[in-house]
Amino acid sequence: MVNKYLFLAYSFVWLIFMLYVWNLSRRQTRLKKDLDEVKSKVAESASTTASGPSGS
Amino acid sequence: MIKKFPMWLHFALTLAGLVVTLYMIFLYAPEEMTMGEVQRIFYVHVSCAWPALMGFIIIFIASILYLMKRSPFSDELAHATAEVGFIFCTCVLVTGPLWAKPAWGVWWVWDPRLTLTFLLWLLYIAYLMLRSYLVNPGRAANLCAVVGIIGFVDVLIDYMAIRWWRTQHPQPVMLGGPNSGLDPRMLATLLVGVGAFTILFFLLVRVRLSLAGMRRELSEIRHALAFKLSED
Repeated sequence: MVNKYLFLAYSFVWLIFMLYVWNLSRRQTRLKKDLDEVKSKVAESASTTASGPSGS
Repeated sequence: MIKKFPMWLHFALTLAGLVVTLYMIFLYAPEEMTMGEVQRIFYVHVSCAWPALMGFIIIFIASILYLMKRSPFSDELAHATAEVGFIFCTCVLVTGPLWAKPAWGVWWVWDPRLTLTFLLWLLYIAYLMLRSYLVNPGRAANLCAVVGIIGFVDVLIDYMAIRWWRTQHPQPVMLGGPNSGLDPRMLATLLVGVGAFTILFFLLVRVRLSLAGMRRELSEIRHALAFKLSED
C-alpha cells in the first residue's frame, strides 16, 4: 500500500498546480471576451465615423 | 529569446518532462533504506524548492531593471514570476511538513531553513498583496520593485542556511561538501525532476505574461476609446 504521506504530498502538489492552471485559463477566457467586445466597439465606432453624420 | 520558442513545444516538453519525472520517482529511483517509501517526497519537494528560490532571483533582477530603465516588461515579468513563484513556494511548504512528520515525528520546527522558507512565502504574499491593493499602477510597480530587491536577501540566507548552521533540515545533497552525495539513480531522478519543474515554471510564467499583455492591450484600447468618445 502507498504511504499516506507520500500520497498526500503528490496529491496536494498536483491539486495546487491544476487549480492554478484552471484559474489562469478562466482569467484568459474573461480577458479574451473583454478584448473582443472592446475591439468590436472600436470597429463599430470607426464605421460610424467613416459613414459620417447621417443626414440630420 | 523565450518568445521565439514555440508555446506548443514548450508545453510538450513540460508534459514529457513531468511524465519522465514521475516514472523515475516511482519506478526508477531506489527506495531509501531508513525512511523507506516516504523519502520519495524529497524529489517533488526539492524540484519545487528550486523554482521557488529562482523565482525571487528573477524578481530581483527584473525589479532592478524596472527601477533603472522603467521598462514595463520588467515590471510585468516580476509580477508574473511572483505569482508563479508563490505557487511553487506553497508546494514546498505543503510537501515539507508531509515529509517531516514521518521522518522527524513533528510537522514543523522553527529551524533557520524552514523559517526562512516560510518568510519567503510571506514575501511572495506581500508582493502580490501590494499589487492588488495599490490603485496607482506606477506606485505599485515602484513599491513592489523595492520589496523584490529587499526580499532577495532572504533567498541568499535561505540558500546558505543549511551550510552555515546545523539545522534540523537535512544538509545539502548537492554542492554540499565532502560528506554530501546521493545514489547515482537518486541523483539522476532529482536532476530530471528539477529540470522538468523548471521548464513547468517558465511555461506558467509565459502564460501569465501573455495574460499581462492582453490586459495591457485591453487597457490601451479602452483609453483610446474613452478619449475618442470624449472628443466626439
